[in-house]
Amino acid sequence: MKQLLTKSLVWIAYLAVLLILPQIFNSVLAITIFNQMAIAIVFALSYNMLLGQGGMLSFGHAVYFGLGGFMAVHALVMIEFETFYFSIIYIPLIGGLIGLLAAVFIGSFSTHKAGTVFAMISLGIGELVAASSLIFVSFFGGEAGVSADRTYGPPFFGIEFFQDIEIYYLAAGWVFIATLFMYLFTQTPAGRMANAVRDNPERAEFIGYSARKVRFISFCASGFFAGIAGGLFALNYEFITEENLNAVTSGRVLLMAYIGGLGYFIGPIVGAVILTLMNSLLSNYTELWMLYLGIMFVLTVLFLPRGFAGFIMMHRVAWVQKRMQSLVMPYLLTGVPAMITAVSLVAIIEMLHHRGEEFHFLLVTLSSTSVFSWALVLAVAGASIYAVRLSLPRLHSAWEDANKLVDADEDNARP
Amino acid sequence: MSILTLKNVCKRFGETEIIRDVSLDIEKGERHAIIGPNGAGKSTLFHLISGKYALSSGDISFHDQSIANKKPYEIARLGITRSFQVTNIFPRMTVFENIRCGLLWNQKYGYSFWHLLGRQQDLNAKTHALLEEIGLGHRAEIPAGELAYAQQRALELGIAIASGAELIMLDEPVAGMSHSEAENAVALIRKVTEGKTLVMVEHDMNIVFDVADRISVLVYGEIIACDTPQAIRSNARVQEAYLGEVAADA
Repeated sequence: MKQLLTKSLVWIAYLAVLLILPQIFNSVLAITIFNQMAIAIVFALSYNMLLGQGGMLSFGHAVYFGLGGFMAVHALVMIEFETFYFSIIYIPLIGGLIGLLAAVFIGSFSTHKAGTVFAMISLGIGELVAASSLIFVSFFGGEAGVSADRTYGPPFFGIEFFQDIEIYYLAAGWVFIATLFMYLFTQTPAGRMANAVRDNPERAEFIGYSARKVRFISFCASGFFAGIAGGLFALNYEFITEENLNAVTSGRVLLMAYIGGLGYFIGPIVGAVILTLMNSLLSNYTELWMLYLGIMFVLTVLFLPRGFAGFIMMHRVAWVQKRMQSLVMPYLLTGVPAMITAVSLVAIIEMLHHRGEEFHFLLVTLSSTSVFSWALVLAVAGASIYAVRLSLPRLHSAWEDANKLVDADEDNARP
Repeated sequence: MSILTLKNVCKRFGETEIIRDVSLDIEKGERHAIIGPNGAGKSTLFHLISGKYALSSGDISFHDQSIANKKPYEIARLGITRSFQVTNIFPRMTVFENIRCGLLWNQKYGYSFWHLLGRQQDLNAKTHALLEEIGLGHRAEIPAGELAYAQQRALELGIAIASGAELIMLDEPVAGMSHSEAENAVALIRKVTEGKTLVMVEHDMNIVFDVADRISVLVYGEIIACDTPQAIRSNARVQEAYLGEVAADA
């Protein structure tokens, strides 16, 4: 009962955050970013149904997102020409159904095996669909893509969706519903057996479940929600191109889910938020943001294999035992120099990138031809690396202390 | 009355014949042990019955219905369950989830994505009861991969019996256990297979002679004897082929 209450509170908090965010950050840029986040969250969560929950590594998840998005744009056009006439709030559902349809068809042969076979098929299908988008021009619109106008539909309680903020609230509603249903899916027999098949497909067969059928169900559900994300994309941008169903988009959703943390339901949400922020904010400051993204991915794989959500969850023991405060100072002592190291390394990369030109970097002007610039960044980098090395042992021992169990024997500590 | 019948079962991998013309009747309610030297084909025989491998020739029937070349999950649904020589659980899921997954098909949930498992009180109560029965009640919420070895074996047994199957096949259930762990495991096996049919492969002769009603001796893919423990002990061929060397070792 208490557990149910806690869970409900989490969901209410989630809804509240979705609703209040644009009131706090209400600039045009902020709303644009929030809309991108909303799309990314649904898309990344749907991807995690495959990889995190079902153990299926897909390199072609953008197919379901893109097909859903294309159909959604076409639906908007049909509303415009009054072939059909319904409120655009239902558009994401159309995207979802198309995603589901595509997943039923493709999943019927691709879910036979997990592992490398599945990954290769997903890659092949991804390339195939991306290539056909330039062949079937009437549906995909060639390189220019297809576009529509979302404001022709019947007003929804007087809202005509001229403004991005209106789209935001529509998207937020869909994000909440989609998140809730994807979470509930994990709590059903089909969702739990997806975990079982991920862990051990052979054992799952010997308790009466066809691993293939279990994968197929997850795959279809995942395609459905990816299509919903595609529908949200169509509503937000009012156009869609081949780029939205090719390997770049497929790769990005993999990064989101991985950086956020595959093992946790909340992980892809964290990843979607981080990557959208990097994408929109970092790209204003540097042309190299993709490089930094790549470095961040590699560092995550190496040092945080369970993603950012995993990093947060690592602190559970310390939190439960109320020892978080003992970690604050060690974190600052290591974290601040580590940040400075990162910044100085970024400075070096930027200097190499801006060969010979002067450019502003934080408080200083740097140039790769200036000896002073090199001396400065190398000195800062060296000093901060030294500081990190000095402080690491302290962080290490503080971590050990914070995670020490009150009872040495874990077995007895449990009721 | 026989529950499981093997008729002239053969299994070849390429040119190599692993199982040669095996015929065997398992009686309903008996505890049947299959023994034999390493490489005799005991595990292969299990894989054939449970559907992991396809037969090369011959037939296997369960309740007089042929199960030859059926898929593992189809055979499992008919009421044959098994454990594995190497621990075979769902390591990243909790102990509780492991057992509950084992119960799902038998409790008619199928591939449902419209039931919320948290609300299935009957199912969850059954899961807890089974956890208590196998002695893992206090470990319910930890990931199965973190259990100690003997506990993982108990969990695997739990997953196997959760299906409610009539025929339980255990492949070396006490291998790698200490003496006291093995004793506990045997007591547990006796308890949970009460009123059911048990077929097990085991190397520990004390346990085999203690538990089994009948013993089949498999040597180089052939059953050379199938009889009560007393008769097997005094069987000259078995002595020669197998037990003699074990006795000599001991």
